[in-house]
Amino acid sequence: MASLPELPAYAELHCVSNFTFLRGASHPEELVARAASLGYSALAITDECSFAGIVRAHVAAKKHGLKLIAGVEAELVDGLKVALLATDRRSYGAIGALVTAGRRRSRKGRYSLTREDLAAASGSGMLVLLVTGREAEHALESGTRDRLERDARWIAAHFPDRAWIAAELLCGPNDRLRLDALRLLGHAAGLPLVAAGGVHMHVRSRRRLQDALTAIRLGRPVSECGHSLHPNGERHLRLRSRLAQLYPPELLAETLEVARRCHFSLDELSYEYPEELVPGGETPASWLRQLVDRGLRRRFPSGTPRMVQELVNHELELIAELRYEAFFLTVHDIVSFARSREILCQGRGSAANSAVCYALGITEVDPERMSMLFERFVSRERNEPPDIDVDFEHQRREEVIQYLYSKYGRERTALAATVICYRPRSAVRDLGKVLGMGLDAIEQLAGTLSWWDGKAMLPERLQQAGLDPGDPLVSRLLALAAELIGFPRHLSQHVGGFVISRGALSELVPVENAAMPERTVIQWDKDDLDALGLLKVDVLALGMLSAIRRGLQMAGLRIEEVPSEDPAVYRMIQQADTVGVFQVESRAQMSMLPRLRPERFYDLVIEVAIVRPGPIQGGMVHPYLRRRQGLEAVTYPSEAVKQVLERTLGVPIFQEQVMQLAMVAAGFTPGEADRLRRSMAAWKRKGGLEHFEQRLVRGMLERGYRREFAEAIYRQILGFGEYGFPESHAASFALLVYVSAWLKCHHPAAFLAALLNSQPMGFYAPAQLVQDAQRHGVEVRTPEACVSDWDCTLERPAAAFPGGERNAGAAVRLGMRMISGFSESAAQRVIASRPFQSVEDLARRAGLNRRDLARLADGGALAALSGHRRLAHWATAGVSRGEGALASVLLPEAPAALAPPSEGEGIVADYASLGLTLGRHPLALLRTQLRRLGLSSAEALRAIPHGRRARTAGLVTCRQRPDTASGVIFLTLEDETGSSNVVVWRDIAERQRRELLGARLLGVQGVIERDGEVVHLVAHRLVDHSRLLADRLGPFAVRSRDFH
Amino acid sequence: MIENRSTLACNAAAKASGVTPGLSLAAARAIAPALRTVSRNRRAEQETLEGIAAWLGRFTPRVSLEAPQQLAAEMAGSLRLFGGLRQLERRLCSGLEALGFTVQLAFAPTARAALWRAAGGAAELDDLPVEVTGADPGILRLLRNLGVSTLGELLQLPRNGAARRFGQGLIDDLDRALGRIPDPRSAFVPPSRFSARLELPAQVAEAAGVLFAARRLLVQLEGALIARQSGIRGFVLSLAHCGAPTTRLAVPFSRASRDATHFAALLREHLSRLELAAPVESIRLEAAGFEPLHASTTGLFHDARDTGEGWTRLVERLSARLGEKAIQGLAIRAEHRPELASRAVALECLPGSGANSPPVDPAPEQRPLWLLETPRRLAEDEFVLLAGPERIESGWWDGGEVRRDYFIARTGDSSLVWIFRECERGWFLHGIFA
Repeated sequence: MASLPELPAYAELHCVSNFTFLRGASHPEELVARAASLGYSALAITDECSFAGIVRAHVAAKKHGLKLIAGVEAELVDGLKVALLATDRRSYGAIGALVTAGRRRSRKGRYSLTREDLAAASGSGMLVLLVTGREAEHALESGTRDRLERDARWIAAHFPDRAWIAAELLCGPNDRLRLDALRLLGHAAGLPLVAAGGVHMHVRSRRRLQDALTAIRLGRPVSECGHSLHPNGERHLRLRSRLAQLYPPELLAETLEVARRCHFSLDELSYEYPEELVPGGETPASWLRQLVDRGLRRRFPSGTPRMVQELVNHELELIAELRYEAFFLTVHDIVSFARSREILCQGRGSAANSAVCYALGITEVDPERMSMLFERFVSRERNEPPDIDVDFEHQRREEVIQYLYSKYGRERTALAATVICYRPRSAVRDLGKVLGMGLDAIEQLAGTLSWWDGKAMLPERLQQAGLDPGDPLVSRLLALAAELIGFPRHLSQHVGGFVISRGALSELVPVENAAMPERTVIQWDKDDLDALGLLKVDVLALGMLSAIRRGLQMAGLRIEEVPSEDPAVYRMIQQADTVGVFQVESRAQMSMLPRLRPERFYDLVIEVAIVRPGPIQGGMVHPYLRRRQGLEAVTYPSEAVKQVLERTLGVPIFQEQVMQLAMVAAGFTPGEADRLRRSMAAWKRKGGLEHFEQRLVRGMLERGYRREFAEAIYRQILGFGEYGFPESHAASFALLVYVSAWLKCHHPAAFLAALLNSQPMGFYAPAQLVQDAQRHGVEVRTPEACVSDWDCTLERPAAAFPGGERNAGAAVRLGMRMISGFSESAAQRVIASRPFQSVEDLARRAGLNRRDLARLADGGALAALSGHRRLAHWATAGVSRGEGALASVLLPEAPAALAPPSEGEGIVADYASLGLTLGRHPLALLRTQLRRLGLSSAEALRAIPHGRRARTAGLVTCRQRPDTASGVIFLTLEDETGSSNVVVWRDIAERQRRELLGARLLGVQGVIERDGEVVHLVAHRLVDHSRLLADRLGPFAVRSRDFH
Repeated sequence: MIENRSTLACNAAAKASGVTPGLSLAAARAIAPALRTVSRNRRAEQETLEGIAAWLGRFTPRVSLEAPQQLAAEMAGSLRLFGGLRQLERRLCSGLEALGFTVQLAFAPTARAALWRAAGGAAELDDLPVEVTGADPGILRLLRNLGVSTLGELLQLPRNGAARRFGQGLIDDLDRALGRIPDPRSAFVPPSRFSARLELPAQVAEAAGVLFAARRLLVQLEGALIARQSGIRGFVLSLAHCGAPTTRLAVPFSRASRDATHFAALLREHLSRLELAAPVESIRLEAAGFEPLHASTTGLFHDARDTGEGWTRLVERLSARLGEKAIQGLAIRAEHRPELASRAVALECLPGSGANSPPVDPAPEQRPLWLLETPRRLAEDEFVLLAGPERIESGWWDGGEVRRDYFIARTGDSSLVWIFRECERGWFLHGIFA
């Protein structure tokens, strides 16, 4: 038997991934894995005018040991189509610049490149493949031949010895003719031919999806796409045996020659920090040292503690060794700018593990207060730049961003991208349309996919929508949707991750336009940057920082002046009296506070970290609680483990502890432990934690730990998932918890005003914040055009106000910002033209039109000028429409006898305009009826013993479906006595979907579940009582905040 | 029923699951995932309204359409004729119910007041909600804000102040309702359609005789069309027999026309294929769907037609003689599956006949001119491969997926053929090159 002929070696040089949106039908990782398993010598990823998928491909190629070539494909405006391949760092940069040029001059998602652009980049050493379409088959005809020859000659002239004609034989009508024609063309232009595949997918079976993507791109049903579809599925990574049948051997051999000349790897990219951070005469190291010393003197006026000084020295040593000085200087510069503008900011994340960051004012966690693990932040082994995220006041972050742009220039600064991917709903919509499903059926199906449905819900939802899963159309849709979900759809901008470079950014990574005017994004997302070890500074927005700055300002304090460890603050927190307080205001947090009973700052750190999906899923919460309450003994399997876990009573709560455990108990090196942490963060999306399991369990068994302990630790690691907090991050957040709680405790009026002025933010709507403040004795006053500012402000309290002795000496005047639809500029004009004689006078002098006036009347802000709301509306509607002199001619009018509005009407109008009422709660008006129906108030509910049946009703203010709670929905109901918490199990949620989603006034019958002071009503039945509300109050809307 | 992606009206089942009018479609679906929707059809509403108006003609000549869903009829003159108000009301109700409508009747001295009362559930004028005035939403919102919910309350407001705030339009409407100012309305004119019957002087047993009589009606039809500057796309001739069910003969044209000679020629072709079931007693000619036709005056040379029209007439005559499906065109279609790359189409869809067809890539030259309707199985020794393969994998979306490798081959008798191999199924002959 003759031995099989040896398979020819092959490198695929023309291949697009699904980052060529709506054309490529495979993920870069899939392409790389497939090319590797087929034994390809190399694979070029040449997405259309884009490097967006290249990093993923690079990471996968390293894993599979495949040579990856970075390139792009581009169609010039005159129709010439080429693939460009990077040979070295320089040509890679040139391609990046070319892509940037093409993208920046077009609107988002498009590009436009000319021959001049290509010619200008020709000196950089990039390789070019001329790509021909079906016209090549006509290349023997004179007209087409002339044009193709011109193109080929042009390329040959501009890229001498660096250009090829791509021979793509895809089983078309006549491949032999095509090849002959291309050979003639090559001969005429002096260009060699090379085999290529024009690949769009990793396997043939993606053909259907590829067709569907084409149809989505064209916006037509697949059946009407005709010749825009590819005639067959040949555009996949083909077997080398198959290629050997289709291509002459020399064309296959030529692919290796091309690949050989491309020796660029993305690993060569190294980040170069901006230069301008260091004044003349200084080195980055000396300058950083100076800044740190200055910072330490500020932080510790009476001398730096030795321990801190040692930490700083250690860190500076490591920083110098890894040459990260410029990075710290960059962040310091941004933070200093913010400080100079009095923009409150704080570093979060692992940076808080650094005493240097503390000294530089980037973070606020005192190294004396915390044990720090600098290696979590910067590690010798990891050899990647640290990650510093800085939160800024959300309303003023834009100033910081503009500073970055102006300091480093747009050429050197851009936001990281976020890849927007297909989700079930969008996949079903797009696929349904191209498969010719009726719009009605599509909406029906898409509509049943609620905010909480995942991929797995599809078949169930189909039936619910009355669609037959056995129907071929439906089964096609399902099969394609399963593939399409997770496909990238377009690039969007990251919330705040900036990349700043020394030279032009475009030579590092292409830059394109974002949807927002004047914003540019790079083509890589956070994971890509991480994978390549490139620095980004996260300039994030945090509403609570705005609120704290405003609150402190109103209270006349600086943040440093907030006393630490105030027992009154902890007493308040222990009672879960935390509406509005950072982080611990959520329902889950509130239910934990009375059990955890935080007494000191470190308890807050734990509180912030433990009430998170990670620790909850890992089953850490209850053991910790029992140990803290002394119900369970704390034991440690060894002294080493005790060292790690003692501060959290033997339960791993922070990421750092998992890392340390892996080191001390399972013998991981710090580098391995850090890889474990990174895998922890990604395993849900990417998997790949299994080999750590073996390693971890084996390591622990070898060191004499019991198998149960080892497996418990592993389970906890799994549970952490991407939600585990690093201790340092929790500590940064805990500081904000403390400061906001202190404000709430001692300056409730300022706290309320600050929160209202910082909306939207946090867990509660203004109505709940105001009610909570009122319950704490804060007097809140209506907005009033003659008095109010744009923002909510503090006023002197009325002496007789009930609870006046408890309030911190101030009442809150609602600002005109609370009035829905009223603009700030109008408000400023009103403020500038006060006082007024009448509504007409106000209108004229503040230049308000009838619409503006009606908004003021809606908000009840004209009471001083015109009386009750109806009269206010009568007055505003009567203001003459003319301008200037005409407007001042007032016709004498007979007064209108309008009766004052009823209480209910007032409440409805308040909610409609302000989103809250200062009058009675709407349910107070219904109380008699509710009582008659046997419905308890929230207050009464709290007194009912555990296990007793109960029924209540309230306005739905919040619906929550945590990922951790397998389909359980948490509702918050509100009435005039407060809020109550309802748990709706999945079967009821499904059965009573209508009530759950539709009712504004929801009745719940169920059983009380009580744990200490924490009370839940577990629903057995939901009843929609919205009718009562409508009958009494008419059209009345309370917005519910729905969370995932 | 939905319009602009929100619910407009819903049936009892939808109401029971919590859907109410005025919800956004998305919200409605969240509440009732199995909701079935129909889009509002304003044209059908208008036609219905016109139908009722025509029917009302038997009570009064003064009917006006008040789209979208009201009609005003002046009945003062008819009261005595129909035996008083109660009697009239009963007849109106029962008559409309018989036609299958649910109606809200209301009477008032002025048309405006009657319409408002009907919209407001026939309440007294003062108690009607202000919404019945149909004032624009901004005004209604203002009225709500003022706490003014009924017309009575609205009328209480100072007149000048009200005019200043709500606009003179609303005040005028109130005055019209109260009869203070006149409110002329345009009377409804029945829609354009044609229907005429002709009693035959003697029973006719032959089709040719029918044609002779029908010509008179066709000429009348032509006259009606000319007067309206309209054309039609077909008519129906009903032949009433004695002792046999009526024969209906539909004569469609491919283009709007109003030429009686043309009508007659077509009718002749249709009649020539008709076997009369029984002698004909009377005929009725009906035509609807008048559409505007460019008024072309008859040319000097009456028979000079442009070629396009001549072609159309040829096609119509051939179709009439051979049957409608017998004459078809062949169009190229952008489609990878060879058997679907061309298709039979009605002639008026052919390019050049006026209808737009999408531009199509030219078919590759490697396609045979003659494609077998059903591919014929070939044995492997029947051919020699010359070129290929051309691979075609397409059509998964309609259940007619093909996955084939096509080759050009020569058969034993030296003819050049197009064959394919389908995986697992073997070789097939699909086409023959000329």
